[in-house]
Amino acid sequence: MSNIAEQRIKREFKEVVKSDEVALCNIKVELVNDSLTELRGEIAGPPDTAYEGGKFKLQIKIPETYPFNPPEVKFVTKIWHPNISSVTGAICLDILKDQWAAAMTLRTVLLSLQALLAAAEPDDPQDAVVAHQYKENFDIFERTARHWTTAYAGGPKRDTELEEKIVSMKNMGFDEHMARVALSTKDWDITRAAEYLIS
Amino acid sequence: MSADMNRQMSHQSEASSMGSDCDSSEDLDEDTEKFYYIDTTDDLDLDCPSKTDDPEYFEYEPLQLIDAERMMNEEIEALCMKLKVNPSTAKMLLLRHNWKKEEIIDNYQRDPSGFLVDTHLASRRKHDNLVGQRPVCSVCCSEYARDRFVGVACGHMFCRDCWDMHFQTQIRDGVTTGIECMAKECPVLVTEDFVYKVLSDSKLRDKYSKFSFNDLIKSHPKLRFCPGADCSVIIKAKELKAKKVECHSCKITFCFKCGLSYHAPTECDVIKRWLTKCEDDSETANYISAHTKDCPKCHVCIEKNGGCNHMQCPECKYDFCWMCLGDWKSHGSEYYECSRYKENPNIANESVHVQAREALKKYLFYYERWENHAKSLQLEETTTSKITARIQEKVMNNQGTWIDWQYLLKAAALLKKCRYTLQYTYPYAYYLDNRKDLFEYQQAQLEAEVENLSWKVERAEITDRGELENQMDVAEKRRLTLLKDFLEV
Repeated sequence: MSNIAEQRIKREFKEVVKSDEVALCNIKVELVNDSLTELRGEIAGPPDTAYEGGKFKLQIKIPETYPFNPPEVKFVTKIWHPNISSVTGAICLDILKDQWAAAMTLRTVLLSLQALLAAAEPDDPQDAVVAHQYKENFDIFERTARHWTTAYAGGPKRDTELEEKIVSMKNMGFDEHMARVALSTKDWDITRAAEYLIS
Repeated sequence: MSADMNRQMSHQSEASSMGSDCDSSEDLDEDTEKFYYIDTTDDLDLDCPSKTDDPEYFEYEPLQLIDAERMMNEEIEALCMKLKVNPSTAKMLLLRHNWKKEEIIDNYQRDPSGFLVDTHLASRRKHDNLVGQRPVCSVCCSEYARDRFVGVACGHMFCRDCWDMHFQTQIRDGVTTGIECMAKECPVLVTEDFVYKVLSDSKLRDKYSKFSFNDLIKSHPKLRFCPGADCSVIIKAKELKAKKVECHSCKITFCFKCGLSYHAPTECDVIKRWLTKCEDDSETANYISAHTKDCPKCHVCIEKNGGCNHMQCPECKYDFCWMCLGDWKSHGSEYYECSRYKENPNIANESVHVQAREALKKYLFYYERWENHAKSLQLEETTTSKITARIQEKVMNNQGTWIDWQYLLKAAALLKKCRYTLQYTYPYAYYLDNRKDLFEYQQAQLEAEVENLSWKVERAEITDRGELENQMDVAEKRRLTLLKDFLEV
């Protein structure tokens, strides 16, 4: 790891730890090992959104050329969002690509991701299925996203109707996560979800 | 109709000019002079078309890198003088506004600072991010004396080493004229004088200068790199039009506007659509269009080894058309319908499945013809080399001089040119909606004459020279008529 990168990460680490957002439990950065090349981040789901109450873990990799190139960030916690892949957790966000500036920090990245959760951009999607649902059937999208927040990110609001559907798919012999993906993809229609999993 | 009229008209005018020449020529000197004159006009001058009657006419010149650089530098200097800005700024203004000088001058004179902000060469307010005697660089987090800090028009200051690293990273990623300030959400561009002042690596300096030169050429509407492999020629034209350019160095022919192979009468975006479509569908089409066909009469297997579509079965001597396998006798100019796709008139009432099949059938129809002409063009290359060999043989046997047989090579060159245009009429026809009947009529006319010419060129030994030259004239006239009517100028 280059000197500049190391110096920057150490400094940023302190910055995040001391910041007001940490005090409010909104964002967090932790070391994974001693090397500083890989970090673990966490952001809280923004209030008044489907992600409220959830804690979302992020994998942050610092490239050799940091801060002249952006950090590589992806979601470890499963999430239902138009700009984040529901399969891999990959993120579509301009500041993690060509709009990165060397003077940006991990704190700005985490805050931008939080802002992305509050305001999705379905016209620039990472996950086409989710983006389609967001545009065509926003109510179902919101319900699905909230359910995922509860299932994977420790969100408080349970949706018994959706949970029952998952249980009935599990009874058919499907794996829970696969059942959730299929039902979410097929707007919670059990027959279509089952067909989707079989084909 | 119009094609036929044109043909008659031109024949009449030629005949009348011939007549008047014979009438007026009394003394010998004048006669030979006139004769010489007529000879050159009859001679289809392939390489230098004249402006008035050639729809493919286009003025352009090849430039070496150094000439293009000089030309652009002159334009940059002129703008510097006019606007009283430094050369790096002038260069960036021209690059960002595609060298529209008048527009740049107008906008700059109306509101200099606003225009620079819009072009990302200045910011609305001057930033000052340095605090104290030994400020901290916000990129590397190191403390330095104030004189270590530099910056561009926006006023964001960073230490020299960080700028240097920033430039190195960007240039390695291929970014040069688009390098921005390192501050968050600051779109201000870094001009070349600053890059050269700071950048330490000499190899990357060379790379920067090369890449930014390429960006300059690409942004210039009158300049274009020759798309030929390893060709460094730059073509300069008066205007940005979809016209034919032939590189004198690598001999490649391309469209000045889009850089693809020349594609008249098809337009740039249409040919792109067609080529993408062909890439997607080529496997099916390849499978369906086999390389051999059976003689429709005696069913002997025939491989096509020449460019001509007028086939004669080696066994039963039946004359037929390679495209439709019909009798060649029905392919007189009025009845030549092989190039016309006949749509199923009842298509709207058919099922989706049938419609899809019909769509595929339509595409395959045009694709087969497009492919067939492309293959024929390759085979005409063999014809040319065969002709060259035969000419040499004749000259060795004292059957005329090399010059006497040049008309054969000219015929082969013209045939190639006509077939090339014919090939590119098929993507045009595939996407065509308006004036379809007229286009298909003219296409059929051209197709018929090209096949006649191809037949005669392949049998040049037994064809009369006058007959061959007449056929050349007719084919080229058909080609020009089609282009005149359908090439968007």
